[in-house]
Amino acid sequence: MAEIKFVDVGKSFGDNKIIEHMNLTIKDGSFTVLVGPSGCGKTTLLRMIAGIGPASSGQILLDGEDITDKAPGKRGVAMVFQNYAIYPTMTVRENIEFGLKNNHVPKEERSRLISEVALSVGLSELLDRKPSTLSGGQRQRIALARAMVKKPKVFLMDEPLSNLDAKLRVAMRTELIELYKKLQTTFVYVTHDQIEAMSMADDIVLLDHGKIQQEDAPEKIYYDPDNVFTAQFIGTPPMNIFSFGAHENRMGFRSERVTLSYQANKQAFFERKGSIITREMLGSETQYQIKIPEGSLMVKSLNEKFQVGETVYIQLQEEHLYFFDKEGLRIRDKKEIAECNAELEASHEA
Amino acid sequence: MKRKEKQQFVEHRLGERRLSRFIPYLMVAPAMVFLLVFVFYPMLNLLYLSFFEYNLVNPKKKFVGFENFRNILFVKTDFRACFYNTAIYTVSVVILLILFAVMVAVWCKDKGWLNDFATTAFFTPHIIAMISCGMIWAWLMDENAGVLNAVLSFFHLPTLRWLNSSKTAMLSVVIVSVWKSLGYYSLIVLSALEAIPAEIYEAAALDNTPKRREFFKITLPMLSPQLFFLLITITINSFKVFDTIRVMTNGGPGSSTDVISFYIYRYAFIHFRIGIASASGVVLMLVLIILTAVYFKGLSKKVYYQ
Repeated sequence: MAEIKFVDVGKSFGDNKIIEHMNLTIKDGSFTVLVGPSGCGKTTLLRMIAGIGPASSGQILLDGEDITDKAPGKRGVAMVFQNYAIYPTMTVRENIEFGLKNNHVPKEERSRLISEVALSVGLSELLDRKPSTLSGGQRQRIALARAMVKKPKVFLMDEPLSNLDAKLRVAMRTELIELYKKLQTTFVYVTHDQIEAMSMADDIVLLDHGKIQQEDAPEKIYYDPDNVFTAQFIGTPPMNIFSFGAHENRMGFRSERVTLSYQANKQAFFERKGSIITREMLGSETQYQIKIPEGSLMVKSLNEKFQVGETVYIQLQEEHLYFFDKEGLRIRDKKEIAECNAELEASHEA
Repeated sequence: MKRKEKQQFVEHRLGERRLSRFIPYLMVAPAMVFLLVFVFYPMLNLLYLSFFEYNLVNPKKKFVGFENFRNILFVKTDFRACFYNTAIYTVSVVILLILFAVMVAVWCKDKGWLNDFATTAFFTPHIIAMISCGMIWAWLMDENAGVLNAVLSFFHLPTLRWLNSSKTAMLSVVIVSVWKSLGYYSLIVLSALEAIPAEIYEAAALDNTPKRREFFKITLPMLSPQLFFLLITITINSFKVFDTIRVMTNGGPGSSTDVISFYIYRYAFIHFRIGIASASGVVLMLVLIILTAVYFKGLSKKVYYQ
């Protein structure tokens, strides 16, 4: 159980400033996912918590204690690496045991802990094997077991699933969530995959260029984005965004909120006539790319009857429209939204 | 007509196939011929000659069975002395070289101008001809005007007679051999060190691993394939040492640095007793085969292969 706090943290490699003045609190016992495009600084943050890539400036607090300059092994954190970083010369048992031996855990205690942990990740039969004889998924479990056996205050995971095949990845995702539920400790999880972030997180911290774009629960991040970056990074396909009017404001909407119809509808708050450019049948839903006067947009629909080349109306309710200013920040003020609506209507009629 | 064409085509394909069966043999033939002429023939001839009394002056060979072997192993004492010297030399060189190669490599792995300079400096002796090395060290180790003794006496330490005393001659030769090959072998260890992924050390840091334990439990096992390679090649090279001895001591003083290769050379080209020389060569070869086999049997399980 631990709360992690970044206080005005900066990190630079040479002249290259990756992170500047970062303030962030990771809640005690939460499953926090750091997500963002590559180079956004998410792994750098994680490595700072681990202590293997120390911060250039600022402070990192773990449960109120300053750990900025503490050795990695003394922090009470465990990490699962992207490529697992298993000790290849040791057996599975030795891998799990290594940290315990370093911390002078007595022998009986060690063997009890190892069999306990091995059972929970399903490695009991493989304890005397060398990692090179095991599959990717099994190696992943060794890395997990090695982290779990130390009973750390914080679990750090650096894209732990990205080296697994798609099916195994989904299965391991569920297992990790179950593991988290069982252990009830703080998990900090780094990924570039927004689906992984959405499905696993209590809290998502969305980063870009070393800056926090939004920090919220998955639902909030999806349905109530603070800015254009968040709206377009989270969700597949990304939110449809168009510029309009003299102030270069932008409006956006989620692709699954659009109603497609052959007929115009007076009730619709926002309506455009367009033609279907592409159609992708995905099974449960169909994805259409549609060209309207403002540009092209993606529509996700349960209705697969529309065909390429057909002319259709796209219709939206008022509550499904989002407005952003020219810097890309969300417009939340009611009066400003009303102005945006009016301007949008005017620009269409013109 | 069609049938004839088909027939021709089949014959053509058959011919091609017959030819293509020979092509691989044709391609390995140069290497095979080379091996046969320069490796297998001399080896068999060596074995053959070791059963004869034969010298280069009188071309008539006389079959003597195992007499030559009996002679060098049980009658004469000089071969046994050479064997003993060679063993001492090999053990010292193997231990010192591997130890220093690892130490130098670990030091050179850190980044810094001094480390970079050291990497180059340690490697330089490897590109110098042995004859020059011999001259340099003979001068450094000179009893009266040498630098080494000057340094020793500067610190008020007793000076050594280096190459001129039977007590220190072997030590001197070992020093030169280690100095000459250290850079080459540390380069092999260094490249292996740099191939160890950084994440493994990060994981070790998170596991609260003390530095010593990290070295012995992680670094050394990860280096084991290269160290095993070093062990075998250095052993073989040291057992066959010739040029260092020839240049620096000529086997002396007395027979204190006389080694097997030098013995073979002396018997073959100075005493012209080819039979004795061949028998010694066979013994040297057998010893190396046995040693290598023992290494593989004893150590290969401990070596970690990716």
